[in-house]
Amino acid sequence: MRRRVVITGIGVITPLGDSVDSLFRSQVEGKSGVGPLTYFSAATFPTTFGAEVPNFDLSRYVADASPWHDAGLASQFAAAAARMAIEDAGLFDGAVDRTRFGVYLGTGEGTQVFDTLIDMVASSYQPATRKLDDAIMSQRGIARYELGREYEQELHTPAAHLGDLFNLEGPNFACLTACAAGTQALGEALEIIRDNDADLMLAGGSHSMIHPLGLTGFNLLTALSTRNGDPQKASRPFDNKRDGFVLGEGAGLLVLEELTHARKRGARIYAELTGYGATSDAFRVTDCHPEGRGAIACMRIAVADAGIRPEQVGYINAHGTSTRNNDQVETLAIKAVFGDHAYRLPISSSKSMLGHLIGAAGAVELVIAIEAMRKGIIPPTINYEFPDPACDLDYVPNVAREVRVDHALSNSFGFGGQNASLVVSRFKG
Amino acid sequence: MSRRVVITGAGTVNPLASTLDAFASSLLEGKCGVRALTVIDPSGLPVRIGGEVRDFDARQYLDKKDRKSLKLMVRTHQLAVAAARLARDHAGLSVDAIDPERFGTSLGSGTVSADLADLGPASRASFDFHTGRVCFDKWGRDGLSLIPPMWMLNHVPNMAACHVAIVNDCRGPNNTITLTDESGLSALGEAYRIVRRGRADAMLAGGAETRINPISLARNVKFGHLVAANDDPARACRPFDRDRTGIALGEGSTVLVLESLDHANRRGARPLAEVCAFGCGMDVGCKGAGLARVIRDTLNKAGIRATELDHVNANAGGWVDHDAWEARALREAIGDVPVVAYKGALSNLGSAAGPTELIASVLALQIGRLAATLNCDKIAADCPVNVVRAPRPVTKPFVLKISGTDRGQCAAILVRRWKD
Repeated sequence: MRRRVVITGIGVITPLGDSVDSLFRSQVEGKSGVGPLTYFSAATFPTTFGAEVPNFDLSRYVADASPWHDAGLASQFAAAAARMAIEDAGLFDGAVDRTRFGVYLGTGEGTQVFDTLIDMVASSYQPATRKLDDAIMSQRGIARYELGREYEQELHTPAAHLGDLFNLEGPNFACLTACAAGTQALGEALEIIRDNDADLMLAGGSHSMIHPLGLTGFNLLTALSTRNGDPQKASRPFDNKRDGFVLGEGAGLLVLEELTHARKRGARIYAELTGYGATSDAFRVTDCHPEGRGAIACMRIAVADAGIRPEQVGYINAHGTSTRNNDQVETLAIKAVFGDHAYRLPISSSKSMLGHLIGAAGAVELVIAIEAMRKGIIPPTINYEFPDPACDLDYVPNVAREVRVDHALSNSFGFGGQNASLVVSRFKG
Repeated sequence: MSRRVVITGAGTVNPLASTLDAFASSLLEGKCGVRALTVIDPSGLPVRIGGEVRDFDARQYLDKKDRKSLKLMVRTHQLAVAAARLARDHAGLSVDAIDPERFGTSLGSGTVSADLADLGPASRASFDFHTGRVCFDKWGRDGLSLIPPMWMLNHVPNMAACHVAIVNDCRGPNNTITLTDESGLSALGEAYRIVRRGRADAMLAGGAETRINPISLARNVKFGHLVAANDDPARACRPFDRDRTGIALGEGSTVLVLESLDHANRRGARPLAEVCAFGCGMDVGCKGAGLARVIRDTLNKAGIRATELDHVNANAGGWVDHDAWEARALREAIGDVPVVAYKGALSNLGSAAGPTELIASVLALQIGRLAATLNCDKIAADCPVNVVRAPRPVTKPFVLKISGTDRGQCAAILVRRWKD
């Protein structure tokens, strides 16, 4: 008999709130968290806006923020969300076996100190050979690097901080699969508990690519919306005038717990995590497979893993990035998996309001799917004005809708063709 | 009922060798892959040694149709694709021998710090040498158009696994673990679990990284844990040794084919070894007890005692604190069981370290002879373990491989010699 896994704690840091309630309320109200970028001057970039977490201060969330003094935002968001999730689960002072309590964090690359990196490159670049002079580059690095800042660039540090903060001695993982990382981390954490390698996992995603190199990279890929005149209208998943995604940031950390363990300590249960699928397009690093090959397989595996029929899925929280390609292919894939049911199935994209939280997106969106199920209200896809003939499903346009949902599916599809889907189900005991 | 998982192929590109035979014999002969750096000009660094893969040419590992992708692969990605190709060939796993949807990828990888020349023109156009800062207006206006459009896809760690999946048509699960020195072993562990529970029939799993670049080297100089023995690289990395002073950085990739025993049997593939257990955890504060527990748990999962181990293949690489941490845990968990460490010969390959070192032990199980730990001349008082200091016959069927980070994240994999 497979071990069942439930969600007993949630913490979120998002552009639209730092609690489950405030996040979900803003989702139902259709608020946009998008605005001009403030972290650095982006005035001459093709895109000048994004969805920042407003006024974040880690010391509001943890008693001693000093270990994160040199850490990047993603690591700090993770700590704040984790602290809330642990407290929410009643585990902050809880007498649980710490060796059976692990971490699985989906995250990104470190945020290099931009001035230092560009100094190293500019100083060492040799136009004649188009190469960098290694000696000059090394010397500039040694001259400018600050130990603490550089140490925090090491990719194992955010997950290590979480282990240290809560004395979690169970499996400690960090993964990086672009836009799928948060979902994949939750899925693999689910499997770790099912496999009896842990009873509790603090899992989810945390990411910020709102830094000069992140904006540069996505702008160069022409993946971002450039609707600079009207940022709050820029993220318009499935709408025919969509022109790219909006860069967001944040974190979602959840406490996954084995059911009997949760029952024994009388934990409040949000929902049951019942299905997980992960696949690869194995197509191109630049584009998703045009027929949604990987996405179709991914959703099918997740639904089958949950032990339900596709018709039992009552809501899809879509990847829905607002790029031309993703929304069209995701629609195609949903139709392939759900057949006629696809047309009766409410689908919405949280990214219409939050922007794209990249490695954190899947975790925050799963939280929204859970709340939609618990409250019986599906948040809308905002900015939906002009139907796209290629996107002809029910995207819950602009206005939230009351629907009873027993099983919800959450999709994340990453650059490079990495796909992950989760199914959450109403907990029925 | 969970399935049995075996290793049916391995490919490695590392500072000692790029074939399994040469790797095994180099280790047995006591050769050292830590040398004066030539892949980059190290003259701006106080540390000028490391474990580099010389004369690496990715084209020889790619079919003609895949070579055009090379412009989107930095060295880390190329190393991964090369090792994956070798592993797949070694396993005899041809395209028609596996359902692509049941074939996955799990790699350890790290920050891509090499191959940054593409940012050169933009950096020069927008960096203000007087203030030491980037002028964002110039960067956005003049710089962006000077950077290749696909730049970012070349610089995210997960692209190694994506390229491996594309070249090998792996449509199953695809993950990238980013736990620095533990990445590769944890990626193998996750792949093992995926095959065991039946989510895939085979996985290309391992790790790839290059730390031979100005950023990684300059950073680690700041961290203060690099060995500075520029005049004597072959004796620089000294696992568990009394005179150890630090680690050297390296590069490479090792990928294994992990396959369900049923699938391997069906296609008539003979396993190299069986993966019997995987365990991981965090030794908070690096006290030793946590790693010892992970080791014991891993042995318990397979139902074996420490005395059944031929040897433990350790993480140690000459790092002053870290080797002592590991030794404390080993003493507590396995007592006098022989311990071998190959970072003396390989240096620290980062995300590639665990899989590369594991393969050394798998080869020893096959050959029947275990290579010695290089440069452990006098075992340190704070490293109370039974270090294998001379080549010796393999006498027992099990080997345990350990990896860990400087923050205490740790993992262990137990493998058994294959017998039909």
